Amino acid sequence: MKMFLKLFTAQAKELLRDRMSLFWYIAFPVIFILIFGAIFSDVGDINFDVGIVTESQGPIAEGIAQAFEAVESFTIHKGSREEELEALRSGDRSVVLVVPAAVEQVFMGQPAKVEVFYDKGQEQTTSIVLSVVDQLLEEIEQQLTGKTRLLTTDQKAVTAEHLRDIDFLLPGILAMAIMQLGLFGSFNIVSLREKKVLKSMGATPLPRIMLLGTEILVRVLLSLFQTLLIIIIGRLVFDVHITGPWYQVIGTVLLGSVTFISLGYLLSSFAKSEESGIGLVQLVQFPMMFFAGIFFPTELMPDFLQPLVKIIPLTYLGDLLRNAMVSMPLAYPVVTSLLILGGLTIGSVIGAALLWRWE
Amino acid sequence: MPCIKVKDLRKSYGSLRAVDGISFEVRPGEIYGLLGPNGAGKTTTIEMLVGLRTRDSGTVDVLGHDPQVSPEKVKMEVGVQLQSPAVFPRLTVLELVNLFATFYRDPLPVDDVIEMVGLTEKRNVQSRKLSGGQMHRLAIALAIVSNGRVIFLDEPTTGLDPQARRNLWEVILELKKSGKAVFLTTHYMDEAERLCDWVAIVDQGRIIAEGHPQSLIDEHFKERALEFEQPAYINDKRLEKLSGVNKVITNGEMVTLYTETVSQTIADLFELAKETGHPANDIAVRRSTLEDLFLKLTGRRIRE
Repeated sequence: MKMFLKLFTAQAKELLRDRMSLFWYIAFPVIFILIFGAIFSDVGDINFDVGIVTESQGPIAEGIAQAFEAVESFTIHKGSREEELEALRSGDRSVVLVVPAAVEQVFMGQPAKVEVFYDKGQEQTTSIVLSVVDQLLEEIEQQLTGKTRLLTTDQKAVTAEHLRDIDFLLPGILAMAIMQLGLFGSFNIVSLREKKVLKSMGATPLPRIMLLGTEILVRVLLSLFQTLLIIIIGRLVFDVHITGPWYQVIGTVLLGSVTFISLGYLLSSFAKSEESGIGLVQLVQFPMMFFAGIFFPTELMPDFLQPLVKIIPLTYLGDLLRNAMVSMPLAYPVVTSLLILGGLTIGSVIGAALLWRWE
Repeated sequence: MPCIKVKDLRKSYGSLRAVDGISFEVRPGEIYGLLGPNGAGKTTTIEMLVGLRTRDSGTVDVLGHDPQVSPEKVKMEVGVQLQSPAVFPRLTVLELVNLFATFYRDPLPVDDVIEMVGLTEKRNVQSRKLSGGQMHRLAIALAIVSNGRVIFLDEPTTGLDPQARRNLWEVILELKKSGKAVFLTTHYMDEAERLCDWVAIVDQGRIIAEGHPQSLIDEHFKERALEFEQPAYINDKRLEKLSGVNKVITNGEMVTLYTETVSQTIADLFELAKETGHPANDIAVRRSTLEDLFLKLTGRRIRE
């Protein structure tokens, strides 16, 4: 036990003093998050410019305007009919409402028509805004007439908050970091083998399997630290809230860490030298990074790439992590993901054990 | 009671017979040297003795264990320094010696070991920043800290400057004094002569000569060279009649007598000097070296 602890400390020091590796393992994913987070957060907040033209100064028109102003994602612009329609034409408004003077007479049972202008070219955004507008007008009318609707919808969001791009990105980058740490980290042993450190340790009574055990432990702990760091940065910089229970997050991180460390050792068994090993890892790591839906949902990828997406283990780790961290709905059944990651781990361990060379 | 017993040890790589039937014994408190050129099979032998390599045939017994059958028992009781020193590059000298100390049941005090190899000033330096000589000394420290009953050193001084080599020799002699057996390989003949109680000269996987370094030389070179300066004796036929002298060579003022009985010849030379009144100045007896021996046995120089 003392030997294990000493060796563990030694391995940890060895890694922590390797500034270059630390940069790639720890700082690089953080920089990724900061850069992509900054890019996506600009377009991330949904906001609609709504123009309101009131043709009378009565209390009802005022009430309508106030009701619209209360909608968080609406920015209300008030102006004359000409001004607002001009703004719509030049693309500065999503929708323009014209509240007629007649609206003040609705009490007398005279229906009034609110004109809604929108840009036909932007049907998608308009349809969202129009549905909100319809709903609002309906609510206002109810308040005015005092009637209660017999049938109403009771909308409950399944996800606690609306998901932003950064919410999608953050767990994906963590998955990527775990993969990098596992795949590249395992090559430390190739370097030690190449430099004959393993051989000289082999002449001591130290069981060499302990060397491997402590190395794996150091790397698993580093992934947990990485997770914590990414979560903290997500929270402080981008206000990403972790919704899942901590044990689910940690469990998923551990599974991913063990999977990619095993895969790394399997790959390192094929490597003749550290350099050829790095090439081999890059061959595996690049497609994973780009086709696993780290940066955008895999549904957006063309159909012919879907089979590739589905055989990439990182896809499943990313999916599980997004679910665990920000409650994003799973794209794949949890059993499938667990089977694939678990199976890959077992396969890699067996493969690595068969191909393993100490010298 | 020998602590290493090797009988008819063999190892081939393909058609190359790296170790071709060697036998020897090493006793406690003895420095045993395996002496030979690169590729003679020295490293392969050491690696088979410490359980790092399997043998093709023969028997090996290290401290009562067969390193092939129970390598962990052998490794627990010996200290090993392999040819190319290799350790974690980012750990310091102190951290490494400390780490290796935990591998053994009864290690030597870490500070003493670092002091012994003269690395006290470098104890907090990361190993990748050490010079070649310091790295060698660290590797030896890692072997010594085991407090093993046998210390294996594979070419401990290769690549070191003369001062560093002499320092290491002191360390190795210290080990002997503390009762350990030291098994070392070297291709430096002077190192073997200076350190070893017993040497085996190996060439192409075989032991071609074995014994105490001086006895080995004496055995193969009966004559010594007796040199002195005296112009008066140039071409003096009386020199050839001195007892034991086989051959006389004169070169300038320098006279060289080759003799099998150095002391007899010197006594006779003094007699002659009394008679003639010409004293022999700066008498020097030069002996043959293991270098000469290797040359004589193989027809090749050891380092080529």
